[in-house]
Amino acid sequence: MGSAPQHSRDPLEFRPKMAETPPTRPAPEPDEASLEPDAQAYLELRQLILAPEQEALERLHQRVDDPASRTEDVGSVVAEAIQLRRKQGGDEALSAALAPTIETALRESVRKDPGTLADALFPVMGPAIRRSILETLRSFLESFNQVLDQSLSVKGLKWRLEALRTGRSFTEVALLHSLVFRVEQVFLIHKKTGLPIGHAVASAVAMQDPSLVSGMLSAIQDFVRDSFHAAQGQGINRMNVGDMDVWIEEGPYAILACVIRGVAPRDLRDRMAEVLENVHREYSAQLDQFEGDSAPFTKVHDEISRCLEHRYKEEAKAKSFAAVYATAAIVILLVGGWFGWRALQYARWDRVVNTLREQPGLVITSFGREHGKFVVRGLRDPLAAEPAQFIRTSNVNSSDGEFHWGGYYALDDGIVEQRAKSILSPPSTAILAVKSGVLTVSGAASANWVKDIQIRGLLVPGIHAVELSPELNPARLAFNQAKTEIEKIVVKFPVGTAALSYSERVELRKFAESVQSLLQAGDSLHQTLTLEVLGHTDSTGAEVSNLDLSQRRADRVALELGQLGVPERVLRARGVGTTNPLRTEDSEENRQFNRSATFRVSVPAP
Amino acid sequence: MLQKKICMLGSFAVGKTSLVRRFVESIYSDVYQTTVGVKIDKKNVQVEDKEVSLVLWDIYGEDDYQKMRWTYLRGASGYLLVADGTRKATLEKAVSLEQKVREEVGVIPFVLVINKSDLIRDWELDSALESQLAAQGWNILRSSAKTGEGVEESFALLARKMLG
Repeated sequence: MGSAPQHSRDPLEFRPKMAETPPTRPAPEPDEASLEPDAQAYLELRQLILAPEQEALERLHQRVDDPASRTEDVGSVVAEAIQLRRKQGGDEALSAALAPTIETALRESVRKDPGTLADALFPVMGPAIRRSILETLRSFLESFNQVLDQSLSVKGLKWRLEALRTGRSFTEVALLHSLVFRVEQVFLIHKKTGLPIGHAVASAVAMQDPSLVSGMLSAIQDFVRDSFHAAQGQGINRMNVGDMDVWIEEGPYAILACVIRGVAPRDLRDRMAEVLENVHREYSAQLDQFEGDSAPFTKVHDEISRCLEHRYKEEAKAKSFAAVYATAAIVILLVGGWFGWRALQYARWDRVVNTLREQPGLVITSFGREHGKFVVRGLRDPLAAEPAQFIRTSNVNSSDGEFHWGGYYALDDGIVEQRAKSILSPPSTAILAVKSGVLTVSGAASANWVKDIQIRGLLVPGIHAVELSPELNPARLAFNQAKTEIEKIVVKFPVGTAALSYSERVELRKFAESVQSLLQAGDSLHQTLTLEVLGHTDSTGAEVSNLDLSQRRADRVALELGQLGVPERVLRARGVGTTNPLRTEDSEENRQFNRSATFRVSVPAP
Repeated sequence: MLQKKICMLGSFAVGKTSLVRRFVESIYSDVYQTTVGVKIDKKNVQVEDKEVSLVLWDIYGEDDYQKMRWTYLRGASGYLLVADGTRKATLEKAVSLEQKVREEVGVIPFVLVINKSDLIRDWELDSALESQLAAQGWNILRSSAKTGEGVEESFALLARKMLG
């Protein structure tokens, strides 16, 4: 009994015997009738012991042989097997093993229906292709940049600065500024039914019923495709009416249409493609099974709203404002400048006029602008400074001004003084000064000029009094003049005598008159004077006799003068001999001058 | 919001356009029909508390000058087949159109509308054919674009069939 359970637990123990029979087939049953009773018993025993194992073995054989059940077995563990294999690190071998099969499968799929694979790949192909195209474009744009680099317009420079500031490429900035557009409506349309799945609209845009527009758009797509035998997937991708553009992007299940006003940049197209891909990725199944119920697509609105881009020409606006500001600034500058210039001109002229006001002999009665000129009116003394000289020294233009002067006599001391000089024509030795209408005359001048100056001076406008300095007293002048004349007189005598000739006596008669007037002048000056008569001889003869002769000659003349009416109290006769000769006796004529009498008027010190 | 694309089919001048004109929202002129071959209108109907928006593709009826564009039927959930009660041939045409639709887009709900019921005296309808079609399970309604009779019912019936 001990071995039976062991057998049932491990049927493989019998394998050496079973090896004699084909492994896939059970051992043929021996013909019972032909067997010996022992053999019969053995067979029965064997059957009793081994039957369950044999059946199990039979079942295993069947399972291994039947392709259907084998497939079932493998199928239930294939995923786990692959996972296990991957964990064990047999990835590469597995991939290598699978690759040819997958490739063949893909080829087969494409051959049968390219659409299926294309639809499946659609959401991933778009981005990949776009990325590749972007790379190509970028390199192109960079070279384009270099060309634009050379354009050094103000706008170009501004854009370049902006590009630097914002970190964008110059081309992008340039494009941004060149384009103005607004996406007014976005339609997401189910391709098969033409029904709208989503509709987004920019604010303040008049819109039509999206169902109708979507239907008509798909109808037109169909119409065009039909009319020109275009393949599915090829259709209108852009419609243009005036400044409206309709851009259409087509996916396997849906169409995205943007209604654009203005000129949209190319990247909107990329945005559209991206949105459409997102929609397809998110709603692939719902789109496929769409039967008019928009409930599953409630969130699609947000996605398609991403296409509602707009771009205003802000730079242009700013520019237009800048232009307005610039114009205004220029106008203000011009107007301000003009007023400023006028004010400056006025101020300059005002300064000139004020200078003129300070000038003696000039009276400004009015100053202002007339007919675009500065007009100065006033009174001018003929002797006043010439106004033109002040214009020359200032920085005003003389042609901008006009002067209108009336004549008058100024009472300024300076002017009056000039006037007095011009009217009275004093000798250069005389000094004329005017102060508060009083003319003071000093210096030296002839008695004749001084004689009537006190009357003539009062005739000069502006002078109400004339004062003479003491040395110009007429009496004094007359006295001095008489004195000078008297002292020039020489009374000549013949040789060796004190007798007067007839002609000398006649001369002395005239001389006595001069002495009389001198005495009068002295009287008016309250001065007593002495008329000294000096007797002279020539150097011939003895000194003693000469002295005597000279005394007699002096006495003779004094006597004669006394007889002619000259008071004796003023006469003094003194012989000086040869001590005070009039001339050097180098000739008879000069010697004659020393045989004479002369006069000296002396005024005692006060 | 439930929307359904439906088509209007029928011979030339059976009154398809007139039939719906008073009952639909429209922004496009009839010119579209002769140019693009279709005009799209909208009709809202109530089906058991459910508002259904029917987007109506009024397809140009086939005539000597223009073929019908079958592409326009693609994606339709149902259609109104319109015949003219005063012209027997239009009913026959409707029968052939139904057959064509089955071939082109498969079996979809439809309602046969026999128009011009206001001119019933002038009808030359083959009542045998009509009853034969009814026997086949066709839904047949009589309508008048002039009086409005049967129009709302036709849309409502079609909508019910599409939702059923």
